[in-house]
Amino acid sequence: MIDELRAALDSDRVMESKLELHLYGRDAGVYRGNPSVVAIPETTEEVVEIVKIAGRHEAPVVARGAGTGLAAGAVPTEGGVVLVTTRMNQIHEIDPVKRTAWVGPGVINLDLSHAAAPYGLYFAPDPSSQAACTVGGNIANNSGGPHCLAEGSTVNHVLALEVVLPDGTLEVIGSEAPDPIGLDLRGVMVGSEGTLGIVTRALVKLTPIAPDIRTLLCSFSSISDAAETVSGVIARGVVPAALEMMDQRIVEAVENWLHAGLPTHAAAILLAEVVGETAAVEAEADLIAEVARANKALEISVAAGEDERALLWKCRKSAFGAVAQAAPNYYLHDTVVPRTRLVETMNKVYEIGRRHDLLMMNVFHAGDGNLHPLMMFDASEPGMIEKVQAAADELVEVCVKAGGALSGEHGIGREKRDLMPLMFNTADLDAQARIKETFDPFGRFNPGKILPAGSRCFDQSGALPPGAWV
Amino acid sequence: MTAWVTDFAPTTAELNSCVACGLCLPHCPTFRLTGLESASPRGRIAAMKGVAEGVLDLDADFEEAMTFCLNCRACEAVCPSMVPFGRAMEGARAEITAQRPTARRRLRHLLLGRLLSNRGLVGLATDGVRVMQRLGVSRILPGRLGRGLRGLRPLRPVRAPALNGSGPTIGLLVGCVMNKWFSGVNTAAVELLTRAGYRVAIPGEQTCCGALVVHDGGIDEGRRLAAINIRAFDNVDRVVATAAGCSAHLKSYGKVISEGAQIAAGAADITQVIAELIASGKLPTLAADSGDVVLHDPCHLRHAQRSTEPPRQILRAAGYHVIDADPEGLCCGAAGIYSLLRPATSRELGTRLANLIDDRGELVATSNPGCEMQIRSHLDRGYRIAHPIELYLEAIRSSG
Ligand SMILES: Cc1cc2nc3c(=O)[nH]c(=O)nc-3n(C[C@H](O)[C@H](O)[C@H](O)COP(=O)(O)OP(=O)(O)OC[C@H]3O[C@@H](n4cnc5c(N)ncnc54)[C@H](O)[C@@H]3O)c2cc1C
Ligand code: SF4
Ligand code: SF4
Repeated sequence: MIDELRAALDSDRVMESKLELHLYGRDAGVYRGNPSVVAIPETTEEVVEIVKIAGRHEAPVVARGAGTGLAAGAVPTEGGVVLVTTRMNQIHEIDPVKRTAWVGPGVINLDLSHAAAPYGLYFAPDPSSQAACTVGGNIANNSGGPHCLAEGSTVNHVLALEVVLPDGTLEVIGSEAPDPIGLDLRGVMVGSEGTLGIVTRALVKLTPIAPDIRTLLCSFSSISDAAETVSGVIARGVVPAALEMMDQRIVEAVENWLHAGLPTHAAAILLAEVVGETAAVEAEADLIAEVARANKALEISVAAGEDERALLWKCRKSAFGAVAQAAPNYYLHDTVVPRTRLVETMNKVYEIGRRHDLLMMNVFHAGDGNLHPLMMFDASEPGMIEKVQAAADELVEVCVKAGGALSGEHGIGREKRDLMPLMFNTADLDAQARIKETFDPFGRFNPGKILPAGSRCFDQSGALPPGAWV
Repeated sequence: MTAWVTDFAPTTAELNSCVACGLCLPHCPTFRLTGLESASPRGRIAAMKGVAEGVLDLDADFEEAMTFCLNCRACEAVCPSMVPFGRAMEGARAEITAQRPTARRRLRHLLLGRLLSNRGLVGLATDGVRVMQRLGVSRILPGRLGRGLRGLRPLRPVRAPALNGSGPTIGLLVGCVMNKWFSGVNTAAVELLTRAGYRVAIPGEQTCCGALVVHDGGIDEGRRLAAINIRAFDNVDRVVATAAGCSAHLKSYGKVISEGAQIAAGAADITQVIAELIASGKLPTLAADSGDVVLHDPCHLRHAQRSTEPPRQILRAAGYHVIDADPEGLCCGAAGIYSLLRPATSRELGTRLANLIDDRGELVATSNPGCEMQIRSHLDRGYRIAHPIELYLEAIRSSG
């Protein structure tokens, strides 16, 4: 297979050295796999070739963008070919009138926004990893970010996809029309984590840069005051562009790195941003400040200019990285709970940390109830991984019981695969497994991800059962 | 069990501080050029970790991954987890030196350690180059050599700097290459510092700071040079260097040898000191309009020392309107002796920067001799490249 790959690509873009295989064995999460070969295509045609060659040799194909995924989505847990898209990083076309762009899957999220900026446009999905992660990875994980509260997640910004299917055929799904004729398969492909098709080009929507913007920093002496503020703001009918919470431990870690003057004495801080026309922005900022005051905010300040605003966001977006100062490893969850149950769930989360004697930190998209509790640990301590896993399972259970979801944005991957039955009944899982089978009957693309073994457990002829969550 | 054999190896704590988040990837020039994990900071740390844990061998592939790195430390500046990448990389290279000895590398370290620290030899080389410049040899030399020669300034005989004043004493590290080939910068430094009331000492026993050889994995030579400088600068209040690469290395002397901690604590880059003096009013802020200048930040100032404001403050005080050469701050490709070891990559980065500068203006400022040479050799004639303090001093003079 390696010889065939070498013949199809330049030989230096097919790698099998021990070192390279080791490096492509993991992403930004904790799982590890062993690829048999790494291929770096530059064109759609090369992707087709790789898929066909792997198919002939019955080898799995695992797509990989920047490898910033946290759920082992790009980890080749069952071996095979890791197909890296970093060189398919051309922005093919930006149409400032239609506000769209055709891009390669390896284009870095923030590079696209920078390229669109001269036209007054940007790519709205803004995961905290946006300086590094690829549009292909965003699509595969249906990634969100702080600003998805108002703008929606990646799926709301994808118009069409060119994909290579597991049998090597090339398809274009969707079109420039917002509502294409026939079955809209974009929704199936976005968020499928490389299990159904490999995206080789994407037509994405670009969003106009708002004329004005206000960013508020509010600090509180308790997590519940902060959480009440979140609910209060939304209840007053304001949907800020972003509404983010960081707890004290996180603030301390970030402050230690950036010295941005964040209030490290507060139990929690909220970062709220509103965008739009100046008058509206001012009114909304006032309202948020009013709600925060009503909930006993310690301090409320508004970023004075673009530099200050950029610094605040840098603080928020580097939080995951900064926590490593506390312990060498972290395990991060990405659960969602209804906003109304935020306070109660947060308390339970800290309680789980205390019970398992694990340092628990929290930084999250408060506006949509998307929690990112981080458990800090040192993987080299014996028994630690099991302890963390046990706490993590409890944590997910608490969130799901509160009426939440398994993953807000990071995807299921391998990490949360076995937790899927918590959320979906056998009929739901079966329906999902059928979709997978239709696209990939031989289980070639990213096997072992999303769906636990045995999902396709019973044969139910006919249509999807009512209420199936696919 | 560890696979390392030197006391300079990457430590477990250094390697464990990387959480593999990948936020550094887009800032790494070699990753930008190749898209490869092994050419990224995260991949390089993972490779070191693999070797430390005995999962990977310290083999040719490892050496390739480490030596492809520019050690520009852009990754370090953006890492929220504060991974001391530059330190770890120097450690990994010291291990390569120890475990994969080659005659070539040994010779290189000897040259870097002994030749550059020997003023007589640098002087001899200088005379040779001066003659070649007179004869216009660079035009007839083949590609790489010719480019190298074009990167040099027209050499002027070195003037012995004055030594007077009664304030606190600054020890000037004049640098091995800097003093002969960029003497104008040292002269400007002495003049500005004395104007501001400092005594400037230039101890004759000082030697090359050792940055080049330590970056290349020559820790033994590096320690020898550091020890000489620590003795030479024993009596001064603080040591200041005129090349960003040297000041960055001085600041890490504590990591090179334990006796170096003190010198490291007081070390500064000349741009930092002059900017302070301007801010405190000891040096003037001119009202002149000097026009545009394109500023290139040396990696060892911008990334290694996280210092971007001082050169801008100096140029603004000189009445310049400052334009960033490259907002992304990618390495120019000089990277010490990298330009000699990896000419193709170095050239790719040099050309990239030259194109950016070309779009922006004709007067260029930068504060590291390696960057200056690299930029000059990739730009056409008709550009002037100078150190910010030289431009500042000229502005002071012409404003009377
Ligand atoms: C510090 C940090 C902060 C983060 N913050 C956020 C956040 O705020 N919001 C959020 O949603 N996520 C966040 N993430 C997770 C992650 O960055 C995102 O999921 C991101 O979209 C992954 O992109 P990537 O290019 O790194 O993909 P990878 O990790 O390389 O891959 C992710 C998945 O996509 C698949 N894939 C990649 N490219 C393709 C393709 N061309 N075709 C088909 N499948 C493909 C892979 O197989 C894999 O399943 C964060 C991660 C880190 C480290
Ligand atoms: S070096 Fe820092 S930024 Fe890069 S992957 Fe490691 S922790 Fe993240
Ligand atoms: S030092 Fe520079 S070249 Fe080396 S890994 Fe860091 S960013 Fe890349």
